[in-house]
Amino acid sequence: MNYLKQISQSPVFWVVISLALVILPHISRFPGWSILFITVLLAWRIVCIKKPGWLVPKWLLLIITLLSTLGIVAYFGTLLGKTAGSVLLSVLLAIKLHESKTRRDYMMLIALSFFIIVTNFLFSQSIPTVLYMIAISIFLVMSMISINQDDAPLNIKYKFKLASKMILQAFPLMLVMFILFPRISGPLWSLPDDQQSATTGLSDKMTPGNISNLIQSNAPAFRVEFNSEIPEQSQLYWRGAILWYFDGQTWEKGKQNLSTVPVIRSAPPLIDYTVTLEPHQKKWLFALDMPVETPPDVFFTNNFVLRSKEKITGLYQYSLKSALTYNIQTKLSPWEKSAGLKIPPNTNTKTIKFAQQLAQQYSKPVDIVNHMLRYFNENNFHYTLRPPTTPGFDPVDQFLFDTQRGFCEHYASSFTLIMRAAGIPARVVIGYQGGTKNPFNQVLTIRQKDAHAWAEVWLKNRGWVRVDPTAAIAPQRIEQNLNAALDPGESRPFHMQLDNPLVRNVLFYWDALDNQWNQWIVGYDAKLQQKLLESLLEQRLALSDLVLLMVGSVTTVLIIVLIFILKPWQRKKLDPVVKIYQQFCDKLSSRGLHREASEGPVDFSKRAIEKFPAQKSAIELITRLYTKLRYEAVHNEKQLEQFKQHTRKFKPGIKKVLEK
Amino acid sequence: MASDLPLLPRFAEKFIQNFAAKRQPEASQQTTVDRHRLYILPTRHGLMFFLILLLILLGAINYENSLGFMLSFLLGSLGFLGMIYTHQNINKLTVSIGRAEAVFAGQEILFPITIKRADSSPHPNLQILSDHGTPVHAHIIDADITECKLTQLAQARGYTHAGRIKLFSEYPLGLFHAWSWLNLQSRCLIYPAPDPHHYTLHFAGDSSMGNNTDDKSGVDDFSGIREYQSGDSPKHMAWKSIAKTGELQTKLFNNETSEEIAINWSDTQETLDLEQRLSILCRMVLDASEQSLKFALNIPGTNIAAATGLQHKHQCLKALALFGKNE
Repeated sequence: MNYLKQISQSPVFWVVISLALVILPHISRFPGWSILFITVLLAWRIVCIKKPGWLVPKWLLLIITLLSTLGIVAYFGTLLGKTAGSVLLSVLLAIKLHESKTRRDYMMLIALSFFIIVTNFLFSQSIPTVLYMIAISIFLVMSMISINQDDAPLNIKYKFKLASKMILQAFPLMLVMFILFPRISGPLWSLPDDQQSATTGLSDKMTPGNISNLIQSNAPAFRVEFNSEIPEQSQLYWRGAILWYFDGQTWEKGKQNLSTVPVIRSAPPLIDYTVTLEPHQKKWLFALDMPVETPPDVFFTNNFVLRSKEKITGLYQYSLKSALTYNIQTKLSPWEKSAGLKIPPNTNTKTIKFAQQLAQQYSKPVDIVNHMLRYFNENNFHYTLRPPTTPGFDPVDQFLFDTQRGFCEHYASSFTLIMRAAGIPARVVIGYQGGTKNPFNQVLTIRQKDAHAWAEVWLKNRGWVRVDPTAAIAPQRIEQNLNAALDPGESRPFHMQLDNPLVRNVLFYWDALDNQWNQWIVGYDAKLQQKLLESLLEQRLALSDLVLLMVGSVTTVLIIVLIFILKPWQRKKLDPVVKIYQQFCDKLSSRGLHREASEGPVDFSKRAIEKFPAQKSAIELITRLYTKLRYEAVHNEKQLEQFKQHTRKFKPGIKKVLEK
Repeated sequence: MASDLPLLPRFAEKFIQNFAAKRQPEASQQTTVDRHRLYILPTRHGLMFFLILLLILLGAINYENSLGFMLSFLLGSLGFLGMIYTHQNINKLTVSIGRAEAVFAGQEILFPITIKRADSSPHPNLQILSDHGTPVHAHIIDADITECKLTQLAQARGYTHAGRIKLFSEYPLGLFHAWSWLNLQSRCLIYPAPDPHHYTLHFAGDSSMGNNTDDKSGVDDFSGIREYQSGDSPKHMAWKSIAKTGELQTKLFNNETSEEIAINWSDTQETLDLEQRLSILCRMVLDASEQSLKFALNIPGTNIAAATGLQHKHQCLKALALFGKNE
């Protein structure tokens, strides 16, 4: 404990802890070896506070720098990506720590620690991240104070109070600048993306198992605010991608030959809504079946799937309209027809035979579809998160005729294959189904656990029709949620076990807050700024007006903050000694002897004696007492009393009293 | 270097100094820092901090990262507050100076400094610097007043003034350097630097030339050196030969204190320059005083009658210090 107290006096200690704290949230994003490097370098620097001779020598630092740079290039393929850059900066700072000796070095490390905070923001801008970063900012300010305190006896409590006070005082100014600083849209330059920044979310392949893995995550995928009434739960199919190619195991998007002229016939009502998409590092945009009016700036094909032009790396918001009653692509293109009927050869032969029998049995494709749905429903099929594994080349055969236990992906996959084998063009759709309505703000949150896969079949005169085989076996999944559809005995992901009314309400509330945060803070951009100012000022602002407005507001807030710091209304508390001395000066002043502003008490007393030689002893005594009381650090009650008495009795110019 | 101020171009520094000199009030023993005479500039690491802040802002603009914007604005505001806090750390402080003890040329003068606050908030890490010295730290935290010693190198004999004193601080964030030049009135007497060699002291009336002790001819009061015995006065230690031989030795004198000694201007060779002659006389005064001899000092323009004691020694040294100078 004593040791800790000793090293906490050292500015190095503060810098090391600051660095550790700003790098900490990166821990899951950085490769393990870099975390090891950083931890060892930081810990070793703490040891070196007491043993300065043990500092890592320059040549070794150089080797470590080279090694880690090479390591980052080997791991990420670049030094400039978001993660690669953050790792590089963090490692370099840890290395720099070992050759930092001066105050300037430490100040630079602290300033760059703030930069690492920003690299954290590139990955997460959530409320908890921000709270953590505010706490760290206070700590960094404490470190700055520690670096600049020299030998001043300041304890941690004092530093904490001062740092928190300063951060708090900086807040209003920050807010004004945040709101009014002119935003421009679009990047100034673009940096390469890392390959490593994987996030949970749908992938563009469907292999049995990868959607059920997604169910483990409670992370929000996107949020939807409806401007019209929210459709029924069973209507909420959020299409993400169409998978055309099947190799017997895996469904893939593959190469597509699609027209950019989607054909749709729809009936009102149109659903009008705004989606706020969480960053998923892909170009997918989700839309309610079936999008009719799409935002500009997106790709839209006759798959009725939306694609962004850039990868979604930050929160992304778009508004669209969808129809619940529709017919799409009533004319099938030749490419669609061939791709929609393609069957992988030499796999799942039992299934294909089964389908061909169905095709002979029924003449109408609709009947085949209905038969298949009944088949799932009436036979002993189970809907489960943990289906038995189906190794081998015929997973559909094994599922249909052997295990009969599966998740949405198994049903979608086998159903689509059967339709194709029976001569009905079919395709797999992946996306999300359902969502949770937040009673606090009526916003629908779609989470990763709502990931879903279904099928679309093409029927004459009707076009592509959505068929969800999961609904046949587990209607609760579609009408309510996954939790309701699973067997009571089945073990559930952690987030589902926690599901009780209280937790649910807390989570709803949190989610509503999070949504506000995302809308107003994280999503505050040029568009929102313009909108906000327009509604506040009831006029459109030019850039120059905005700059003027910002300068004006910042100045106003500065003055208010300054007034709070300087507190001019608090009259300077006069030292009682000064007050009494002032009486002495006033008495002399009334006799025509004025003290100059810059005149010292001793000089003044000399002039006073010259003018009133009779009071020489009194003037000398009062002056001596005054200088003693005022300029000596010790406080003396008795002398103060004496000083008061003599000053009161002092009467300049009356000779007869004092000449004795 | 006392401060971490960014290098100012020469003319700018000159300009600030001239500007400050014009606003400086009359020298006095006490002065209060006020905002008219308080200057503030960013330090080097302050500039670095703002540069990094700018980089953060650029990054935020590029990635359209709202919280990046927030952080850069927070740091900007913090930097501004840092400026106010540093300014307030020395604003309205009252600094007074006391009398410094006389020293020999080449030694350090210590001016006692008192700093007093007008408010009740702490003012840690104040630094005081004179033109030829190293900064001294002072902190006002609990008590309203703090004392410290301003150091200054004593260069030439005679009176020297505390001169322009700089009170500065970079507390709390180290981003800004706030300072005020104080014109504090205090002088210190500097005696000539004593000559490193010892010289023969002459009895009054003897007018032969002074010689180095190594030259044994014409010795009458100094009778030799013997091994140190316990009880010998430390004043009579033969330091020079101790230094040579490494053994403790004592100087022997005839008729100690029984007769008056005269230290005369003519004891020093005419070929030497003025300062050297004063140095030799200074050494002789010190030696005589150390040996508790009754001595007189006769230099052109000043004759001090033979006496002993600290007061007398000081009088003689002062006469030497001010020789040829007006007060």
